[in-house]
Amino acid sequence: MTETAFRRMNDLPSTHLLGGGTAMCAGCGGLQAIQEVYDVLGKNTVFVNAAGCMTLLSIYPFTPFRGSWLYTAMASAPAGAQGVRDALDILVEKGRIPPEENVQVVVLTGDGAAYGMGVSATSGAIDRNLDFLYICYDNEGYGNTGQQYSEATPHAARTATSSGPRGYPGYKKDLFSIWAAHRPAYVATVIGAEPLDLARKIETAARVRGPRLILALAPCPTGWDFEPRDTIEIGRLAVRTGVWPLKECVDGQVVHTKVRRPRLPVEEYLKRQGRFEHLFAPERKPEILDEIQARVDAYWQRVE
Amino acid sequence: MYCIRLHGRGGQGMKTASRILGSAFFEEGFEVQDAPRYGAERRGAPIFAYVRAARRPILERGIIRRPDLVVVADETLVPVSAAGVVQGVGPYTVLLIHSAEAPAVWKRRLKLGGEVFTLPVAPEDRADVPLIGASCAGAAARLVGEISRDALEEAIRSELVGMRAEVVAENLERALGAYDRLAPHAGCVREGDAEGVGPFESPDWIDLPFEDARISAPDIHAGGTSVQVRTGLWRTMRPLIDLEHCHRCAWVCSTFCPDGAIRVDDAGAPQIDYDHCKGCLVCVAVCPPHAIHAIPEEQAADAAAAENAA
Amino acid sequence: MTRTLLTGNAAAAWGARLARAEYVPAFPITPQTEIIEKLGGWIDAGEMDGRMVTLESEHSMITAAGAAAAAGVRVFSATSSQGLLYGMEMIYTVAGWRAPFVLVNVSRGLATPLTLESDHNDVLAARDSGFLQIHCSTCQEVLDSVLIAYRLAEDARVRLPVIVNLDGFYLSFTREPVAIPDPETARRFLPPPDPERAHFRASRPISQAVAVLGGGPYSYFRYEIHRAAQNALSVYGEVADAFAAAFGRSHGLFESYRTDDAEIVFFMMGSFATKAKAAVDCLRADGWSAGLLRPRLLRPYPDAEIAAALAGTRGVAVVDQNLSIGKGGVLYTELASALAARRDASPVLVSFIGGLGGRDIGAEEFFEMAAVTRKAAQEGRAPEPRLLYTATELREMRKLQSIALRERHQIGEIPPARRASARPEREERP
Repeated sequence: MTETAFRRMNDLPSTHLLGGGTAMCAGCGGLQAIQEVYDVLGKNTVFVNAAGCMTLLSIYPFTPFRGSWLYTAMASAPAGAQGVRDALDILVEKGRIPPEENVQVVVLTGDGAAYGMGVSATSGAIDRNLDFLYICYDNEGYGNTGQQYSEATPHAARTATSSGPRGYPGYKKDLFSIWAAHRPAYVATVIGAEPLDLARKIETAARVRGPRLILALAPCPTGWDFEPRDTIEIGRLAVRTGVWPLKECVDGQVVHTKVRRPRLPVEEYLKRQGRFEHLFAPERKPEILDEIQARVDAYWQRVE
Repeated sequence: MYCIRLHGRGGQGMKTASRILGSAFFEEGFEVQDAPRYGAERRGAPIFAYVRAARRPILERGIIRRPDLVVVADETLVPVSAAGVVQGVGPYTVLLIHSAEAPAVWKRRLKLGGEVFTLPVAPEDRADVPLIGASCAGAAARLVGEISRDALEEAIRSELVGMRAEVVAENLERALGAYDRLAPHAGCVREGDAEGVGPFESPDWIDLPFEDARISAPDIHAGGTSVQVRTGLWRTMRPLIDLEHCHRCAWVCSTFCPDGAIRVDDAGAPQIDYDHCKGCLVCVAVCPPHAIHAIPEEQAADAAAAENAA
Repeated sequence: MTRTLLTGNAAAAWGARLARAEYVPAFPITPQTEIIEKLGGWIDAGEMDGRMVTLESEHSMITAAGAAAAAGVRVFSATSSQGLLYGMEMIYTVAGWRAPFVLVNVSRGLATPLTLESDHNDVLAARDSGFLQIHCSTCQEVLDSVLIAYRLAEDARVRLPVIVNLDGFYLSFTREPVAIPDPETARRFLPPPDPERAHFRASRPISQAVAVLGGGPYSYFRYEIHRAAQNALSVYGEVADAFAAAFGRSHGLFESYRTDDAEIVFFMMGSFATKAKAAVDCLRADGWSAGLLRPRLLRPYPDAEIAAALAGTRGVAVVDQNLSIGKGGVLYTELASALAARRDASPVLVSFIGGLGGRDIGAEEFFEMAAVTRKAAQEGRAPEPRLLYTATELREMRKLQSIALRERHQIGEIPPARRASARPEREERP
């Protein structure tokens, strides 16, 4: 890793740029991550947003952003970023705005857009080598509409549309690899609960040009059914159990940035969340728990 | 207003011909409208383009129903009903056709009241560069009689801008050659009368009845109905299998034919379905012992006629 | 100014070039593609100072167009039919951004069944979006309307995107003489975009297109779009006057052709309206008192002006090249509502649906429509709406159905061929 301003926890910003007063739920892990991201990125940004929880960050006439914001629609935030980026380039090239007025273009979407409806627009933007940073707050379901399962929902999780005794039958899509397969400038996973790792990755992402993804797991007290105060703890457990590997991809090389040995059993993570409660009560479902554990183990076996 | 229709096959340059003619009229100070008529058809399929030219603004639009001049690049299109070559042809419509047969033959065959002229088909008309389009434009320009040689030349140069010099030269030669050849008939095309209301046949409008969705949705309730489309009519070159040289491999030409138009019989001999063979000549290219060759379609038709006569 | 032969598509591209469009988000679709090919060619050759980006869908294309327009550059884009519908969410969305740009739509009928040929259902699907709409009938009008559209869109009293519509095939692929304005005159008519409109600068943050809570603010913002569109009526008049002064060509809210004393008026949009003009000339030559009124600006809709123009007319043949399924012709409905506000002028309206999916309208059909409308005016009562569709067409349809349907008896009744001698003499001759 190159020079970093974030060597110790004490290096992290202690005052925060993003304004309070937003409509996000108390204990929102996504908002917590965005706070950290925004502190590092700064206000010379335009956030281009797709429909999701964070759309409600700005409700007329209130906005927490010190820089700019543009809401587009659910499917096409990267195309909005394309239009803004190209327009700013044209304006700077033609001298209609001075270079110091230029800003970084940031896409902000939830997993619903990032894993599903928006994949086509995202793939197109990466393919066009658009200079933008894509931030996905991944709370593993359509949170803003009441947590129906999405393509980011993990196996066996109970959602509003997978409420049977075995929960969601599918498996979480590997968006990191889908991005990496496009060979973009930078891809990284982060979580608000690991702020130093997050800050360094935002720092790296802000330094390079081209398409960049920051994929943030966003513990969601409302959708995952846990107490808001446990957001950070759940986030830490996601990392320590190996469920959420922290990693980055540069030039096609994937590096794990924080590897916990030994890993805690996945149960430690699962049992803290109401959405997995049916795996433990009324009776334990060992075959599902074993499968989840086996998949996590298999992942780490491959990468270690 | 002059209403001119040009008929040819996809790839023969009818769009370019209509543009050359349009530009030439425009050079001469006419108001002009020219357009190709596209369909789902491809190379070799019948297409047409049209030109309207008048000394007043042109308000009419769309396909020409009553042409003053019909130019045919490819005589094999005449019997193809889908090509609509003689559609709307009236007693004063002039027909120009590329054919070795005499005008009188065509006049009699098609029962035409108007004048008919022919131009010979040159061997290079089968070449990659569709010179026949230039011939059509040059001939039409002369028959109309309102277009000078210079205007025609200028139109060709402007429409072919960006092409190689020798291609432009060849096109010029063909177009001006046709133009000169028809000098005795200059101005024989007359402008269609401006239509008044006059006595007109009222349209046979009907009230469209309700019909069950099983009928009135665009669904095809049967398989393989496309065999009713004779795509063999697109063909300008006909592949012929020389069974004496055929190795009876039983698969090469048949497998590689894109249209599935070659079947192998029980004795291992391939047979071409000429109703659907489009004349792509893939079979000619892939046959290991070179037992398939191609001849121009009209030559094949002549041979068949001779055989029948004998 | 040079006068040359151009297709409608090339005329649209020339409009964008003379407007000095700086940014062209694109996506190919027939019959529009020639426009973006032309612009791409000019940009690649250095003849046009612009940037073109092909997005991966029309939805993205319109998003990028709106976003760049919001950022302050002059944007041009083009689409057609299914593409317009694929982008429809963003058509509505970007209109609310109040980001002015010009989108050319090359009209083409909508699936199902899929077709390539023209009618107006595609552009009418965008009718209520907040985009203004200008409808063209000639290639010249296409070029001129693109220039007019930019000035209208960028006017501070309007600030809305504009769709310029031309018909597929009948204009898009048809060459006609077009006067290409010289760039200097175009520059004087259309000055560069207002530099104050450049958003997203570091020093001047803006949160744009923000959500609202509650119907009050929502109503305010939506109705303000409506007000801006209404403003566009008078602004359009100014722009059209300035255009006429600069280029010597008049393009009003609507075109009136020989309507002054007309008892019977055709009311229709797009390229087929010139066919109606030809029919009007023929009818006039035979002593009929006929004319044409062709709306150019469909949004905003000039209710009062159209109603005034039809005062004194006894019968109007409304020819809709569209079909609102379950209701009928859109122009008919809108004209009826425009006339309902006036008690003094009440011509009889006769509704015709014609030209769907590029179906031609013959001269004799215009004459027949005139005859039907005159009879309705005399009787003071309109007949049922009429689809322009002949027994001959249904017989052709039966042939197709007999192939598509296994059981021949399923295909329905085959209308008998009409024998010329059996045809009753037409009653009303002029």
